[in-house]
Amino acid sequence: MKLFRWKAIGTLAGVVLLLTLFSWLFLDTLVRRGIEQAGTLVVGAKVELADAHVRLGAGQLVMRGLQVTNPSHPMQNLVEAAELIAMVRPLPLLEKKLVIDSLAARKVRFDTPRKTSGALNRSSGVSSAIAQQVKEWAGQVRIPSFSLEGLGRAIELPRLSLDSLGTTQQARAVVQFSDSARRTWEAGARALDPRPTIDSANALVARLRALDTRALSLDSTRRVVLATKSTLDALKRTTDQVRTLERGVDSGVARIRAGVAGLDDARRDDYAYARGLIKLPSLDAPDISPALFGKTALDQLQAILYWVRLAEHYMPPGLLAQMHEGPKRARMAGTTVVFPRARAWPQFLLRFAGLDLTIGGAGATAGDYVARLAGLTTEPALYGQPFRFLAGRSAGRAGPQNVRVAGQLDHVQAPSRDSVEASIAGLALPTIELPPVQARAALGAGLTEISLLRRGDEIRARWRIRSTDVTWQRLADSGAARARAPREIEDLVWRTVSGVREVEVEAEIRGALARPSLSVRSNVGTELARGLRKAIGAKVEQAEQRVRAQVDSLVQGELTAARRRLTAVQAEVQAPLTKQQAELAGVRTQLEAQVRRLTTKIPLPR
Amino acid sequence: MYALVKLIQSVVSSLNSQGTPRQVAAGIALGSGLGLTPLMNLHNLVILAAGMLLNVSFPAFLLGWALFVPLGFALDPLFHRIGRGLLVDTPALGPMWTAWFNTPIVPFTNFNNTVVLGSVIAWVVAFVPLYVLLRWLVAQYRTRLYVRLQQMRIFQVIAASKVYNCYRLFRP
Repeated sequence: MKLFRWKAIGTLAGVVLLLTLFSWLFLDTLVRRGIEQAGTLVVGAKVELADAHVRLGAGQLVMRGLQVTNPSHPMQNLVEAAELIAMVRPLPLLEKKLVIDSLAARKVRFDTPRKTSGALNRSSGVSSAIAQQVKEWAGQVRIPSFSLEGLGRAIELPRLSLDSLGTTQQARAVVQFSDSARRTWEAGARALDPRPTIDSANALVARLRALDTRALSLDSTRRVVLATKSTLDALKRTTDQVRTLERGVDSGVARIRAGVAGLDDARRDDYAYARGLIKLPSLDAPDISPALFGKTALDQLQAILYWVRLAEHYMPPGLLAQMHEGPKRARMAGTTVVFPRARAWPQFLLRFAGLDLTIGGAGATAGDYVARLAGLTTEPALYGQPFRFLAGRSAGRAGPQNVRVAGQLDHVQAPSRDSVEASIAGLALPTIELPPVQARAALGAGLTEISLLRRGDEIRARWRIRSTDVTWQRLADSGAARARAPREIEDLVWRTVSGVREVEVEAEIRGALARPSLSVRSNVGTELARGLRKAIGAKVEQAEQRVRAQVDSLVQGELTAARRRLTAVQAEVQAPLTKQQAELAGVRTQLEAQVRRLTTKIPLPR
Repeated sequence: MYALVKLIQSVVSSLNSQGTPRQVAAGIALGSGLGLTPLMNLHNLVILAAGMLLNVSFPAFLLGWALFVPLGFALDPLFHRIGRGLLVDTPALGPMWTAWFNTPIVPFTNFNNTVVLGSVIAWVVAFVPLYVLLRWLVAQYRTRLYVRLQQMRIFQVIAASKVYNCYRLFRP
């Protein structure tokens, strides 16, 4: 029987030809879908392309009608471009790599409205996971409340339970640990008991001092020296054991000391907790500003954090294998692993992109803009250059006088270093509702600044807005607030905030990339704190003193117990051990001196 | 449309000149590669070429494809684990994958996808045992089961229908 069916070669050739023809006919569609899928996967929201046309001979890819949805606001596009022309290198395509030498764009617009939502129906993949993590972080950020309702009634001290206070918990933990550790250490010290060894060594030192070395024979001297060395060995063993115990005690005492030192912080937290129960507003600007602008600031900074972490995932430093979600298909997508190789092309590289655009009309955004970016790649270590971008307004007819965005993401090697600066002057700022003070601030046109500095896992990002054209609107009284807050206080708050003509808000995240801390500052908070302090400061201060006194009286016993434990452990366990250690060292030195005296003239085996 | 149908018929009949148990088993085992692995990948073109060029039963090849598609879907989590084990959890293979996936054309196999690699490896490993098992089953069927089936009324009804045309491909 023949193994091959040679006559089928013609049919096979026909099938291959058909497949090739099919691919060629539908190449544009396949490329368009590929761009949409890859873009959607990276951005985490819909990326749509009306049309793509591949000119293989010219190495050109023309894309029309590109819309990139803003993942934070699915009814808006981050960017929209009428036409993009990319010059593609053909050879890397054989390795399934896309290297674009240059990209030119026409009719680019930002923040345009969408007709349909660009949110994804199925939330999966890296971008969704990052969005979820950032959302979880934002959910855990504590934005302080600002309530005036406590001023509307006679201040009654809260009923505090001893167990509800953090100081109590911490002091009890210190006492418990001290007692338990002390029992262990004392048992160890009893088992060790270096006193007999020290006394025996002291007696030997006395005997050796009385010895006349000239009267001893060589053999006797050798025996004495060997016996002394044996005692020295025993001393060394005991010293080592005492040192080990001492180290354990030192470490434990340090822990107790840290616990006692932390009690003051715990007590401050308890003051804040108890103060919160009587619903009095804080009169400190650092507390009021986050209460007023915390949510708005958090929304802005969440977006920055999302993009930084997305860039970290898709542009990792180094040449380690990268794992991405596999292609969408009826079958399971799996994981696609990319294996970068030194001195090879990256999977994706955009060497240079430039766009010059003009926005017509007399609106705030009208004018000429220029944007350049270079070195956008999925494997920065292979390209060897950081990703740089710059955008600005070259000429404006109306609106913003200064638009400038510049940045550099250096992921060539670990640790990653990112820096971004954006400054937009004259553009419309958002209207911010401030329910705690029953006011709405229409910020009008003003300055927006964003800066980002990141090195490795540490991030520092700042968002700042400043407006000199604020209009205030008083919100309708909410029933609950009006029922409890005194009218004169509400009026005072309104007079204070509505008198602020220049509003400045600055928010910052700082710390570990995974969980940075948030701080918010605003001159509105400062003004409000000053006004309230003047009007009701004395009353609030008096109430705060009473609250503090109540907390102090409750936790005093526990605090004293914890501090006593520390003193006792230091005096009764740690100090004796230190003394014994010194005694052991002293007697050992004396014995070694005697051995040297005995062996000055006698050669001894080592 | 009629011309297209006639063309397919002639292709099938020309490829199905012989139908021994070996050829049927080899055809199903080969076709199972298309069913077990994700379809739109370069290696499936090679399997298709093998199915057409090698002297195996081509209808059995198509049947193997159809039969193993549901199994492929069901076993995807297992394939993913196999692929992940080879691509990610075996660092010793890293240099080989790096060289491989930076070579022209090879990346189009999509073997750097855990499901694709896992399913191809599983199919390759299962190919010979599957062939041996299928050959035995086909032989058993032809010598024992077919004789009994022939005498059943329902079988005679089916034999008169179009479905029988397909079934006839496995008749002794």
